[in-house]
Amino acid sequence: MAHDLTKRDLEHLAELSRIALDPQEEEKLLRDLGNILDHFKELQKLDVADVPPMTGGTDLTNVFRKDGAAHGGTENTNRGAGVSAFPEKEGGYLRVPPVFG
Amino acid sequence: MDLDHLTIKKFHEGLLDKQFSALEAAQAFFARIKASDEAIGAYLSTAEESAAREAEAVDVALAKGDDVPTLAGIPLAIKDCILVKDLPATSASKMLERYVASYDAGAIARLKERRAVFLGKTNMDEFAMGSSTENSAFKKTRNPHDLSRVPGGSSGGSAAAVAAHMAVASLGSDTFGSIRQPSAFCGVVGFKPTYGAVSRSGLIAMTSSMDQIGPITQTVEDAAIMFAAIAGRDPVDATSSETHYDETALTNPDLGGIRRLRIGLPEEYFVDGPDREVGAAMDEAIRRIEGLGLKTKKVSLPHTKYAVPAYYLSMPAEVSSNLARLDGIRYARIPEVDRDAKTLRDIYFKQKGIGFGPETKRRVILGAFVLSSGYYDAYYDRAQRARTLIARDFDRVFEDVDVLMTPVTPTPAFKIGEKTDDPLAMYLSDVFTGPVNLAGLPAISIPVKPYPYPGGGRELPIGFQLIGKKWREADILGLGQYYERI
Repeated sequence: MAHDLTKRDLEHLAELSRIALDPQEEEKLLRDLGNILDHFKELQKLDVADVPPMTGGTDLTNVFRKDGAAHGGTENTNRGAGVSAFPEKEGGYLRVPPVFG
Repeated sequence: MDLDHLTIKKFHEGLLDKQFSALEAAQAFFARIKASDEAIGAYLSTAEESAAREAEAVDVALAKGDDVPTLAGIPLAIKDCILVKDLPATSASKMLERYVASYDAGAIARLKERRAVFLGKTNMDEFAMGSSTENSAFKKTRNPHDLSRVPGGSSGGSAAAVAAHMAVASLGSDTFGSIRQPSAFCGVVGFKPTYGAVSRSGLIAMTSSMDQIGPITQTVEDAAIMFAAIAGRDPVDATSSETHYDETALTNPDLGGIRRLRIGLPEEYFVDGPDREVGAAMDEAIRRIEGLGLKTKKVSLPHTKYAVPAYYLSMPAEVSSNLARLDGIRYARIPEVDRDAKTLRDIYFKQKGIGFGPETKRRVILGAFVLSSGYYDAYYDRAQRARTLIARDFDRVFEDVDVLMTPVTPTPAFKIGEKTDDPLAMYLSDVFTGPVNLAGLPAISIPVKPYPYPGGGRELPIGFQLIGKKWREADILGLGQYYERI
């Protein structure tokens, strides 16, 4: 069941989201998120026990494609348009700093 | 040349009659942008060189005597979250300040085939999150009809550019009202197609199950022309559908068929919602529709009040997932991050901490919350079930009526700064446009009457909304075209 979002929750969520927050931002976010969750409590009153969740925007079922660059595969992106957007690259590979400092 | 009364239709006729060349027209629009946009702020970037090349190619084709499509040479403005190859695509975020699109969005590729001209990229709320364009990381856009007011959002730049004749038409994107609400505020036409009608490839994703690209135009007829051009299946967007539109039915509707449409007025959209001005404008619009010989009746969509909560407790989940990829590694990196970051982890935290604005952070973190173990059932899953109830409401009334008619917004354009400190008040301004996106339906915002620009700011524009059945864009575009001929 719903409960109020605590400062510890917020810090944990920011850590999971990989977002650095300063103390003022944290304070404002805590207040805003509290208001939002509180205001939208009316949704908790709705009886949805026998209603299936809607999982997408259309009635479409899964779509499959043939493997390979010619069929719109990710191979296309990873070798072309995707790579050209990398801020640092080397021989078609993405260059990043060390994972461990 | 007279830019103030141009539509796609008139532009095409003028081009064929040699009243102007495509290049002259593009230059005239850039001159207009230089004169007007400092005050309005609709554009984030312009593309004079590539636009001149595109326009000249149309002139060469015409000189050779080739047939050119209706959209040939039409100067367009494109919302900055839609990719046009080799032009910036920042989504109005510091996160993507230096990103240049490396491919064309599906909708853009179709417009290029039809030889449209791209004037530039328009301002918006960061990553399309907002209802006023005040969440842009770069600048404010002002409502051309009253510079102290917002143009609406998130496609505020695209709506303002069309309203102030700084483009003949534009593209926006609509997840909960982001095409229709700014169009209503700026006195232009805004059309959100059925989910899946237009490719989302190359649209920087906000909420993938609801995002949809659509046109903002001077007339409903222009919206139909643009829609016919951009609709259709795209193999790289698995949620796009094989569409079967009859282009003539869209752009040249039959009055007899339109007169037989049954119009529903959902009571939940009229009680306690619109203010007095909007209420009076709605009465006028309904009288005009009835004057065309159409029958209206009251209907009920009982779960309407759950649309805003259902959206704000499910959309952030998709946002937190979609925006996770913006980590400073795959796309452009913010310079100050590079200087301080020693590890990969440093880059993530700093890039997102500096790169995302307050509303984006709010939604990413709320999304992580509604998806977390222990809260998923109470928030995300419950919101998705409420979404089903809202979609079923529409299914039920569409057994009785063909089209729904509602206000677009509870009030006309609000003042700049009026709602920036209160995210909740901002969210509630989408109460009439959002249910459509939850159900995947097509809808259009049409000015109640013409609001000429420049009009001396005597009156703030007000729009009404027509909502159609899935894939029945022809009904609402057809009715809209008859309405605007009154």
